[in-house]
Amino acid sequence: MKRLAHTALAVVLGAGMLVVSAESLAAQQKAPPGGVYKEVSTLVPLPSFLPGLGTLYVDPATLPAGPFLAYDRQGSLVSSIYMIPLTDMNARKGFTGLKVGHERADHVDIVYNAGHPGVAEPHYHVIVWYVSPDRAATLAK
Amino acid sequence: MRDPSRRDFIRVGGLALVGVGFASGRPARAAALEVIEMRSDPLGARVWFDPIGLFVQPGATVRFVVRENVHTTTAYHPKNDHHPLRIPEGAAPWDSGYLVKPGDHFDVTLTAPGVYDYYCVPHEAAGMVGRIIVGRPAGPGAQPFDYWMGRPGTERWKHVPDAARRNLPSVSRIVAERRVRPRTQPLRQGDHP
Repeated sequence: MKRLAHTALAVVLGAGMLVVSAESLAAQQKAPPGGVYKEVSTLVPLPSFLPGLGTLYVDPATLPAGPFLAYDRQGSLVSSIYMIPLTDMNARKGFTGLKVGHERADHVDIVYNAGHPGVAEPHYHVIVWYVSPDRAATLAK
Repeated sequence: MRDPSRRDFIRVGGLALVGVGFASGRPARAAALEVIEMRSDPLGARVWFDPIGLFVQPGATVRFVVRENVHTTTAYHPKNDHHPLRIPEGAAPWDSGYLVKPGDHFDVTLTAPGVYDYYCVPHEAAGMVGRIIVGRPAGPGAQPFDYWMGRPGTERWKHVPDAARRNLPSVSRIVAERRVRPRTQPLRQGDHP
């Protein structure tokens, strides 16, 4: 468990240190982010809006790690999600150079997920939130 | 005219799927519809079929219903992505495809006696599997998980994941209890899966 947590933390820290152009960040603040990003529900059989997470977009070339850019029902960016399979963690695989969706994070959640279309194996969601916990909680509805 | 909904499509597809078994020589009795729920906690961290073990009579129709998350019900059969044969020889394998919305469902009518093991495609590695016994415990599903090792034609078959092996209730328990509930509780913050 400690090794998993260390790996997840390394992912978060690595992502936070990246430099992304101001133009590309600005373009990602509202859905759709455009460019190489595709709505996840058009790539795999998932609902467009995922309770607790929002509407997700991803560059398919970055699967499974992502980032998945998540938007609320108003189309505002709320988080970047990195999906890290347990098999990769146990193999001590590193994930570096991951992009971010916003310059400043509010908080981070690291939660286990049993799998879903697109990442059909147990993995961790490393969620870098750009909104407060209260606002993030509204995504559950 | 509205487009048929996914739920409508699934209902038609499900009812069209009938297990192919050997004739028993007796007319099948109309059996009650058995329901197996496809569940998840809010985080998607714990997923399960409920019941995870079920005993039915030949001819019974089993309805798989999504309550939360996205699931499939998929028979252990080489036609399903090279999974090992764990349903009766000659029985038709099923694969619901992804059931995306709460209430989506898929029906399977099971006529051939024996053990039927099945899994959820995105959650098999996490141990989301189930077992149905139709009439009597027999067939490949009643055999040990690796019974097929070394047999010709099985080179591409995949092994049942460890979590799935741990979760499947024993044949003897299903025969004794008829309906086995899963051992699962929603994951709490700080828990390790």
